[in-house]
Amino acid sequence: MSFAWTSKLALAAGLAILPATAWAQSVNISYLTHWSPETVALLEAAAKDYAKANPDVSVTVRAVPFGDLLTTLRSQGGNADGPTIGGIYDLWLPELARDKLVAPAPDAVASEVKASWPAGVTSAASVGGTLYGIPNEIDVYALNYNKALFKQAGIAAPPKTWDEFKDAAKKLTNKEAGQQGFGMINSWAAGVVHPFASLLVSNGGELVKDGTPVLDSQQAAQTFQLYEDLIKSGASVPAMATADANTTGPFLDNFVSGKTGMIIMANWWESALKTGMGDKFADIATAPIPVGPSGDKPHSISYSWMTVVNANAGAAEQKAAWEFLAWLNNPKSGKNGASAMSDILMSMGILPSRLSDIEAHKEKLGSEFLSGYVSVLADAKPFPVVPGGQEFSESLQQTLEALQYGQVSAKDAQATAQADATSILERAAK
Amino acid sequence: MIQRYRASAGIMLTPAVTLIGIFILLPMMLTVWLSFQDWSTQTPFSSASFVGLDNFREIFGASSVGRDFKGALTNTAIYTALSVILILPLSVAFGLMVYQHDVAGGTALRTVLFSTYMVPMIAVALAWSKLYSPSEGPLNQMLGLIGIGPQPFLSSPRSALVSIVLLNVWQQVGYFTVLAIAGLTQIPGSLYEAAKLDGANRFEQFRFITLPLMRRTLLFSAVIAIINAVQVFEPVALITQGGPVGSTNVLTYHIRRVGIERAQGGLGSAMAVMLMLSLIVVVCALFALANRKDQE
Repeated sequence: MSFAWTSKLALAAGLAILPATAWAQSVNISYLTHWSPETVALLEAAAKDYAKANPDVSVTVRAVPFGDLLTTLRSQGGNADGPTIGGIYDLWLPELARDKLVAPAPDAVASEVKASWPAGVTSAASVGGTLYGIPNEIDVYALNYNKALFKQAGIAAPPKTWDEFKDAAKKLTNKEAGQQGFGMINSWAAGVVHPFASLLVSNGGELVKDGTPVLDSQQAAQTFQLYEDLIKSGASVPAMATADANTTGPFLDNFVSGKTGMIIMANWWESALKTGMGDKFADIATAPIPVGPSGDKPHSISYSWMTVVNANAGAAEQKAAWEFLAWLNNPKSGKNGASAMSDILMSMGILPSRLSDIEAHKEKLGSEFLSGYVSVLADAKPFPVVPGGQEFSESLQQTLEALQYGQVSAKDAQATAQADATSILERAAK
Repeated sequence: MIQRYRASAGIMLTPAVTLIGIFILLPMMLTVWLSFQDWSTQTPFSSASFVGLDNFREIFGASSVGRDFKGALTNTAIYTALSVILILPLSVAFGLMVYQHDVAGGTALRTVLFSTYMVPMIAVALAWSKLYSPSEGPLNQMLGLIGIGPQPFLSSPRSALVSIVLLNVWQQVGYFTVLAIAGLTQIPGSLYEAAKLDGANRFEQFRFITLPLMRRTLLFSAVIAIINAVQVFEPVALITQGGPVGSTNVLTYHIRRVGIERAQGGLGSAMAVMLMLSLIVVVCALFALANRKDQE
């Protein structure tokens, strides 16, 4: 072949490749999360690793406070320039899917998720049988207690029943020292509702059954009554309960400074507790939720998070986003057979949900603090994922806070909670 | 001639009227229209369906939607009233202090007062949330020195809204002091000299000269203070998130939750319309009161 022909062929090949190269270089995807700066740095490092093998894709990470995450997704997710990937709470999925803000997962991703995650977690990331996100974290509630305070109060073991729980809370209360037995939460919807729901399911009750609220049950009445008893006896002080999802406020301050004997909290607070307590973190232990008079064995509430892709992003961005997420959650992207995502989650004390990740992090999940959570996971009941779930949560929060501050009786709180939940879920289902 | 004048006036007014129409009147009319629709903020306007007065019935009804709205409306009214009641007298008092030429350090005091207005709300919110901290907060420590036990401030539904009002007063009073000073400079000194010759003391001078002649300034300050207070959002979003028990849930924060977070655009618009109507009624009542005083 003459030099002229070779040159022409090379030029033609170059021209043919040029559009693809130009297209490939232009794929920028953004990842919206509520994680702390330290965790965002880990995600950015993972994105950098991904870029080594995929120089045509650039991932930028943007973090907003938890309280602004849903608003940001709703206000910016409706257009192509919004975040390409978002980390979301499973309760938000039904409405985000209904409003076509999140894209269904491609078949390959859906098959991988169905084969590699527990069925319950996969179903929480699906609406009407269609998978919308790749699940990552799973959170579950358990009783956290301060062993040093238990020793001082002469309590030998964590409470197993509500009677033991009330008794321990009473013994741990020392008004003069500003110490409360059990710390409730207010001013943050999930923080208020999840511990209540954990006690409810441990008493054999449920929040919602087959899409209908069942807060009018006897089990729910007993749970509302438990709250009223704890408040009236002074074992729980609402002024010590203010908190938010950014792990700030008196609720955390009082527990880390030894002013609260027991709380019901999720595993993801491990990093906040460690930071706040330093060496005294060793005083904290985990136990199953005490069983109520109508319950059979300890249960608690679990919920999951997932990463979704913006349905309004361009086709190239969506494709790149799913490929990045598939890599991030793949057992080859992290250390020792774990996914890069699970390594990030474990840095915060969050339980990964992929089966291979649980196996890969077996040793760390066996720590004194986290093993208490892993042990209750099997009997945990998922928080109901229904349209209107967030509004239902916020409404129940208001009622429980009114009960905490003595504005309503347990009986009135139960009636209000059931009536509000019925009206909210009926409206959302239309 | 008149026709030509009218035509040229029309041409000159067109750009301004068009801009006002597009950026002010159109969004307002759209909000009013949406308040009669069932509409999700995530869907196009074409998907809205007419529901008549249903949204208004719902926000004034007995359900949680109605309870939350009425609670937020009441909180906003209390917040606004307390803010105006505290800001106006304080701004006049500070204005009088700063305006006295014979008081040393007047300029420094004026600078200090106005500087709070220039501090970004995020910094104010961070600082005040720590000041109010029930356990380690400096305010409680200071109260402890004089034998007063720890106060819950933001942790109690009884005191949380007032605590937010105090934060607002602290930040805004400097700005309103500057307005008060501007009003004071408009009062001729000869009136005070004549009053002195007639034997009027300081209080009488304030009562019969300063206050009546500052009425226009105070009316303007009151209107601005009301509008600012009704729009309160940042301290609630940054510190209390509307709690505890919805005691700091003000309307702007609530509308954001309903309209954006829950995507209930029709309900959110109905709430926004009620907020707008309430503001119009209050401001008109204030002007009517001032006009009646003028006529008297």
